[in-house]
Amino acid sequence: MNASIRDKNKPIGYIIGGSLKESLRARLIVPPQEVREGSFVVIRTSDWQFYGLITDLQLGATDPRFADEPSGERLQSAISDLLQGQTLFTTLEVLPTLMLERGPDPGSPEYAQWREKRGAISSKTIPVKTIPSHYAEVLPANEGDVAEIFGSETSSGYFRIGNTREQGHPVCIDLVKLIQRSSGIFGATGTGKSFLTRIILSGLIKEKLASLLIFDMHNEYGLDDTATDTQESVPGLKGKFPAAVRIVGLGRGASVRGQAPDFNLEFAQSDIQPQDIELLTHELNLKDTTPATLDALVSSFGIENWYSKFKAMKPGSVIQGEDGKRMPAPDSVETWALENNVNSLAATSLHNKMTRLFHLPYIVEQPAANGLNEIIKALQNGQHIVLSFGDHENDLDYLLVTNLLTRRIREKWVEMTNAHRSHIERTAEPRQLVVVLEEAHKLLNHEMARQTTFSTIAREMRKYGVTLLVIDQRPSQIYSEVMSQLGSRICGWLGDDDDIHAVLSGLAGRDALRGMLARLQPKEEVILLGWGIPMPLVIQSRRYDNQFWGELLGKTHGKVNETQIMKELGFQS
Amino acid sequence: MNTTPIEIGRLLRSSLTGFVAGCRVDQPSLPVFGTLVRVPIEDQLEAFGLVYDIHMDDDGLVRQLATSHSLPPEVIADNRNNRNMPVEISIITVGRRKTGILSHLLPGHPPVSLDVLYRCTSQEVRDFTTTGRLGYFRHILRAEELPVGELLAAHLEQARAAHRESGDPAWFKNATRELITLLRDDYPTLMSVLNALSDLGPE
Ligand SMILES: Nc1ncnc2c1ncn2[C@@H]1O[C@H](COP(=O)(O)OP(=O)(O)OP(=O)(O)O)[C@@H](O)[C@H]1O
Ligand SMILES: [Mg+2]
Repeated sequence: MNASIRDKNKPIGYIIGGSLKESLRARLIVPPQEVREGSFVVIRTSDWQFYGLITDLQLGATDPRFADEPSGERLQSAISDLLQGQTLFTTLEVLPTLMLERGPDPGSPEYAQWREKRGAISSKTIPVKTIPSHYAEVLPANEGDVAEIFGSETSSGYFRIGNTREQGHPVCIDLVKLIQRSSGIFGATGTGKSFLTRIILSGLIKEKLASLLIFDMHNEYGLDDTATDTQESVPGLKGKFPAAVRIVGLGRGASVRGQAPDFNLEFAQSDIQPQDIELLTHELNLKDTTPATLDALVSSFGIENWYSKFKAMKPGSVIQGEDGKRMPAPDSVETWALENNVNSLAATSLHNKMTRLFHLPYIVEQPAANGLNEIIKALQNGQHIVLSFGDHENDLDYLLVTNLLTRRIREKWVEMTNAHRSHIERTAEPRQLVVVLEEAHKLLNHEMARQTTFSTIAREMRKYGVTLLVIDQRPSQIYSEVMSQLGSRICGWLGDDDDIHAVLSGLAGRDALRGMLARLQPKEEVILLGWGIPMPLVIQSRRYDNQFWGELLGKTHGKVNETQIMKELGFQS
Repeated sequence: MNTTPIEIGRLLRSSLTGFVAGCRVDQPSLPVFGTLVRVPIEDQLEAFGLVYDIHMDDDGLVRQLATSHSLPPEVIADNRNNRNMPVEISIITVGRRKTGILSHLLPGHPPVSLDVLYRCTSQEVRDFTTTGRLGYFRHILRAEELPVGELLAAHLEQARAAHRESGDPAWFKNATRELITLLRDDYPTLMSVLNALSDLGPE
């Protein structure tokens, strides 16, 4: 295999111009069909090696007439071929990204001098600060080049998430960097976000780099699922990591895909705070008066009791007074409003709208077990939580539960970090935590982001060891301040200009990358971008299948197709 | 195949960039358009050139004869052998050989009258056309008043045959490529040269 790769690794062109600000231009010396937009190339000069991406291919002619008037009919074919070879050409546009000092030829006497001057520092790539000279050779990156930049699977923390598109060299991501800051996985529906997320999550679990809290809105990650298009069974994380992954159901007796979860989560009424209600303003169509009413409730009953007291009130309930007149009953919303100088209409309206909450089975007076604590304990112990929404698949549940849970976890992590830092107790640093959010724009949109805990996490929780992994179809809907905090962005095909713009915001070489993003394959092809990625690159996603699990867990998992075995044994059916 | 140098004629006039030789009409060695020729100038210096024109002037006698009613063959032969005006062969200088070394630079001074003009042998053609990187094309391409396309076609055809003899069929392709490179920015000239080369047909 190596020999053929080396053969393929002949120069494809040489540099003829360009600039650092725009792009480099190279004359192509192989047929244009042999290279593609987005390919990873290496540019060699004597001392430096530059890395870049092909962002465009242009046909050119020394004189437009050579291109306009086909010479084939007028000239002998051999001469016509020569003419075309000399006057018609293809120019490559290459976006330079990184450079690496190679030093003189290791065999030469200058090499020893150079090594000495440079000290023992091992070779390290840096962002481009200069450009290669004229006629520098352009080569397709080989397996070693890709490993040099993206790391190799054999080093710990590096995890293969795909292959380069043309030559299939393995491409890794640095998982440590991926979770050091918040990251995002984007793409239109069906581009493979959930599949790629499964792959990355498996990697994180395998490498034991962080605890995961997965808000599994569509019940995709925990238990085995069925692919919507191929109808094939898709293994869940629980089946592969039975001890490390805990499935949590929402509400007492909840079942997930007909199976009982590891434990259930219920919230106590005392957990609900006014801000949790305000968060649902849009969802419940609440009025401007809501905050005032909530304030009054809290001052009447205290932060722990306001919810249960309010729930117990009966709007419109009346009694017969001594004078025979009907008046609001003492347990009515109106009486409370009257006594507390609150607009009675506002109070009853809020009560009405909160009925949906009052009916939620997972908010109870006394949770049977302390699910919240169990979750926190599991996460601290390096286990992973998949919170399955089960039947509670609508936005109200998603907003409320994610927020309630994350707020508590955030508080806990801040507290633990502070305790650890101030050495008050000999407490351990809290475990690195990654919160995985599907349909993230629901919680991180422009309206919501300021109120939810998630934007805080994206902005400052890195210091406390909590980061987000957001998954979304519509990055443009995500609040720009949150978007700008995403260190690594993995993006599949996007059809919408605003979405493309959002994904590329804040990145160098945006213009060149925009076209590449818009022309990705509709499935299983993604571009890697951002701070956590050495340089932008289009890759073919790793496939999530039995082979993946075999490689990850070191043995063949799942049922092996019988005909496959027969084939491998040499029996053709 | 010509292996021995053949004397063609003697010089009538010359300059640094070209010269004209006179020769007899009946000479069997009368060169053709595009032939590579050489003139020894002095002991260790020769000029090389390409024949780009063959010119025959009339004289009084020819005019008379041309209008007479019947011309016996011996009269025609006599006029041709003994005419006063020689055939003039015009040559563009394309290189030199100095102290045995070929190059495509011009000789330092031109040949002088009555120096002898030789037709080059196949070996000399091969040696001259493989010295350097076909640099002598520049002399031809600069001579705008010449039928450049035709001259190159004629020369390349002869040179191609010479290289073929020695088993180097690639020479013609390289020469064509070099011409394309040199003329890339001059579409009309390049196309006329390539049209002429195309007319040669494959060997
Ligand atoms: N890495 C992969 N390995 C195997 N199959 C894949 C992979 N990526 C995508 N697919 C195929 O593409 C289909 C769609 O992928 P997926 O469900 O991940 O899309 P999605 O981006 O999450 O879509 P949505 O936004 O609608 O949730 C899958 O059902 C699967 O068949
Ligand atoms: Mg999905």
